Amino acid sequence: MKKFISLLIVLAMLLGCAAAFADDAEAGLLRTAIRYDIRTMDVARTTDDYLIPMNVFDRLFETRRGKDSLEVVKSLITDYSVSEDGLTYTFTLKDGIVFSNGSKLTASDVQYTFERLLKIADQNTEIPLEVVGGAAVMKKEADTLAGFKVTDDTHFSITLTAPNAGFPAELSAPAMSIVDKETTSAAAAFGTEPKDTIGTGPYIVTEWISGDHYTLVYNDKYWGTAPSVKKLIVKTIPDANTQNMMFLNKELDIIDLQNQDAVVIEGTYKSMPADRMVSTPKVGLTYLILNENQKYLKDVKVRKAIGMAINADEIIQGIFKGNAQREKGIIPTGVFAHSDDMKAFTYDPEGAKALLKEAGYAEGEVTFELALNTTKASESVKLVYSYISSQLKKAGITANVVSYEDSAWANKRNSGEMESFVATWGMDYNDPANIMYTFFGTAENVKMRSINYPDASIIARVSAARAIVDDAKREAEYKALDKKLIEEDAAWIPMYAELHLWCLGDRVASFTPQWAGFADFYAADVTLK
Amino acid sequence: MLRTLARRALQALVVLIGVVLLIFVMLRIVPGNPIETMMGEHANAETIARMTKEMGLDQPLLTQFFRYIGSAFRGDFGTSYSLGKPVAQLIGNAFVNTLLLAVFAAVFAWIFGITCGIISAVKKNRLTDRIFMGVSLLGISLPVFMSAMFLQYIFAFKLHWLPISGTDSWTGFILPAIALGWNSAGQVAQITRTTLLETLQEDYIDTARAKGRGPTGVLLRHALRNAMLPVLTMMTIQFSGLLSGAVITETVFSINGVGRLMVQAISGRDIPLLQATALLATTVVILGNLLADSLYSVLDPRIRKEG
Amino acid sequence: MLRKKREQLEQAADIRLQSQIGEEERFWFLMRRMARENKTAVISFIFIVLMILAAILAPVLTVYEENDMDLMNRLSAPGGAHLLGTDEGGRDVLTRLLYGARVSLLIGVIPALLSLILGAVLGVIAGYRGGITDTIIMRIADVTLAFPSMLLAMVIMYALGGGLINVFLTLTLVNWASVARVVRSQTLQLKNSEFVEAARVMGVSNRKIMMRHILPNCLPTLLVLFTLNIPTSILTESSLSFLGLGVQPPNASWGLMINTGRQYLFTAPWLSFVPGIAIMLTVLAFNFLGNGLLDVLDPRQKKQ
Repeated sequence: MKKFISLLIVLAMLLGCAAAFADDAEAGLLRTAIRYDIRTMDVARTTDDYLIPMNVFDRLFETRRGKDSLEVVKSLITDYSVSEDGLTYTFTLKDGIVFSNGSKLTASDVQYTFERLLKIADQNTEIPLEVVGGAAVMKKEADTLAGFKVTDDTHFSITLTAPNAGFPAELSAPAMSIVDKETTSAAAAFGTEPKDTIGTGPYIVTEWISGDHYTLVYNDKYWGTAPSVKKLIVKTIPDANTQNMMFLNKELDIIDLQNQDAVVIEGTYKSMPADRMVSTPKVGLTYLILNENQKYLKDVKVRKAIGMAINADEIIQGIFKGNAQREKGIIPTGVFAHSDDMKAFTYDPEGAKALLKEAGYAEGEVTFELALNTTKASESVKLVYSYISSQLKKAGITANVVSYEDSAWANKRNSGEMESFVATWGMDYNDPANIMYTFFGTAENVKMRSINYPDASIIARVSAARAIVDDAKREAEYKALDKKLIEEDAAWIPMYAELHLWCLGDRVASFTPQWAGFADFYAADVTLK
Repeated sequence: MLRTLARRALQALVVLIGVVLLIFVMLRIVPGNPIETMMGEHANAETIARMTKEMGLDQPLLTQFFRYIGSAFRGDFGTSYSLGKPVAQLIGNAFVNTLLLAVFAAVFAWIFGITCGIISAVKKNRLTDRIFMGVSLLGISLPVFMSAMFLQYIFAFKLHWLPISGTDSWTGFILPAIALGWNSAGQVAQITRTTLLETLQEDYIDTARAKGRGPTGVLLRHALRNAMLPVLTMMTIQFSGLLSGAVITETVFSINGVGRLMVQAISGRDIPLLQATALLATTVVILGNLLADSLYSVLDPRIRKEG
Repeated sequence: MLRKKREQLEQAADIRLQSQIGEEERFWFLMRRMARENKTAVISFIFIVLMILAAILAPVLTVYEENDMDLMNRLSAPGGAHLLGTDEGGRDVLTRLLYGARVSLLIGVIPALLSLILGAVLGVIAGYRGGITDTIIMRIADVTLAFPSMLLAMVIMYALGGGLINVFLTLTLVNWASVARVVRSQTLQLKNSEFVEAARVMGVSNRKIMMRHILPNCLPTLLVLFTLNIPTSILTESSLSFLGLGVQPPNASWGLMINTGRQYLFTAPWLSFVPGIAIMLTVLAFNFLGNGLLDVLDPRQKKQ
């Protein structure tokens, strides 16, 4: 008997020893967590996972949040100029910049970056497609971009098919991360093997253990000022509550609160000292998509009724506890050509019922599927789904929430057959084209987002708006399009833009989030104590 | 006896082939083109066609099957769709963690379960018995993720004794192993208690007592040895249950193991990864059962004679 | 655990055979004995009956609707208008618990019943026919049993997709094999018994022998298996829900409630604990009842 008791004591002592595990992190180390592992580090194959591209590569420009407005600043270039017709941009690269493996940055690396996106022809092809000859490279009819002229190692020019005043802003998008021609073309696994994924940025990726973590360390060949963070460890922690516990236990230095429910944030984080909380508006918005190929949703009156039946303000106050703002148009607050005076979709459940009746539908007749991406949806977004479903039920509309795993969800949406869903768009660059064109710019885009908006003349106008060089005229056109699409056609139900909140641990002095409020951030914008 | 073992091994092989076939067919009746899934957002028809051909998905199912078996024997399980890395490499990393977790859990289940069982049997129907049996019943009736959450909350979050997640050091394995092993520990405790009580009533125990052996001596030398047989067999069978539980435990404690890979494979509709992880898990179970059968026939003289 | 029970059951069947007459009377006699001797089983039985009643009467027992959200009243603590508080969507937790009991009990009972039927029919056929039929059926059973149950469930849910009906199907496919094994070994014993022999001589068809003579004799065993399979199914579904593969929202199952509650472990611990305790008690009750049945139906255990 005594033996067993002593055995138990030994076990308890073992546990006690383990208690001595240290949580003092080495100097210069920043630890953070993401919810699901990245698929690739290559922007030619993803529009989601930008944390590594943002830190390992540089771009020709960067967008930064200034005091009152967003600024596009030069990064890898010293200067640039635009021709009078707005078509040709001439750039000068900074001299003496090298990649982390010592290879020199030249104009032909930039050219290679553009052509590579088109040749892989998977993701992020929109921007290089604007260059003369882009379509030919993508169709494999040409090997080089006709509109890309390399003068010497540091000088090059790009000619566009149509003028685009937002081009420098577009070049600041993570998608336009500059890669090294020699290394990348020779690499066996660029984007999946850390040693093959070489950039000019402040960090080198040294380790990527799928499903566990990846590690970035400071690149001592970096041309800019040395960052405070010398090593970044990003853990994959799918469970929001585990992240929460890890942060409170000081196992993480920064926590991204967008995965936590607002009530949890209020209960746990609002009592933190004010300087520990960082917030930035997400430049973008969350919207409800209604597929116009669906039996009932093709009726504009039904779509308007749905818009009127949803109380977006209650979502903002109830689900987000005020950490969100109302969005009423496609072009979100803070972006060029955003309109403050959108009139669409004031909450009016009785009006919604009347409108349905007017359209000739009995109560409960209108039925559709509301598709939820269970893999990626945060708890708050799941609540938004349940809430929309219950609100619509009160208006006599049946919206069945159906869950899909991530890839099944993407497949169904891309096929244009998803009946309706809630999604969030974050701006890649500060130009309305980024959102307008992606959703309404071509017949293909309209299908791929499962909108199936039928009006070809409006689609043509959205596409043409990009080429209006005159800012005032461009602004007026975008505003008109926004009103037409939302107020008249109810092609989208815009709802809200969340405030993106972070909490900083004891070891962090300051943190500036990415300008659009992405979850991905520049580690160089973190200062450690 | 050797013949019995050989026959069992042959049976296990047949089952294994059946398992491979079942997994293979089940994963291919899923609607939708796996390549489209893999390519994600902007898949174009041309690339899909090329990849389908490259991966042999345009071949008849039977050809695909034999091709898969062939390359599996060479250690090539294809490339994961969702993680873009060779499946063998991913599983190699994860399998060590799962194996460690399962072994720790089994050791815990064994030590804790047997200890509980003995104490309960000795203190039959007294408070100690009730408490220990209560703890073991809790392990059996709580869903694994509840006990995992519970342990994580108390010992990692409130008491700061152990890390909340990860496998950076061996201490990271303690809580997940207990969470995972608790269920088995409960079952071991129950069986130990029952069999001990049974054997304590057998005649030879009385004989030993008559010979003047003390109660602890009787318990350890005679009763326990005889009671160990069913417990031992059960432990090997438990391996299947441990692998089931590992899926959950690894998710709660964010451990990069086979179970979590499996969850990843399902949410990523990642057939090569799911196929390989499922195959690995079932192989382990089949081997475990084979081992249990052999152990049983070696240890139990009655069965040995029959064989 | 299962293996041991299976062995016990096989032996139990043996002994039962010795007293063929008055099988039904015998059964009720044994039930009465269990009620007398095993208080835990009786309490468990009463608990289960009460829970079934509560699940059926859910609309009468609560004034709230299952999915009625009240965003301004999220995560309010237990007490007051909401006896067990409200969840993350401002829904009444007690109401969801009662409606969740419907789903969780169905998930326990229906797959247990279906796997019982499937396993019993296949087991009888395998045992009675023997030969190649036996080999094929039992190898398929072996293949199913080679999978860790959670893994098999995950793979089937992957192939079928989420939803209640698919959960039923999945759990049935996971559980049938162990039933088939037990029934087969009982059939093997019964096959050569006198009354089966007699029926065969009288020219009764094979199907009739299997259905009228062999299966009824397996009923007590099947009852035990049925009772013990229910908690297994409930636990498996809760794990599937945990991984997001089980019952889909807005429907409530206990597993799903625990899983969503997990995100609010510090802010609103009752969200996980209430359904967690419900699952625990239910699983315990079915286990106690099942073990009680096993004890009286298996005389070998009597001496304890």
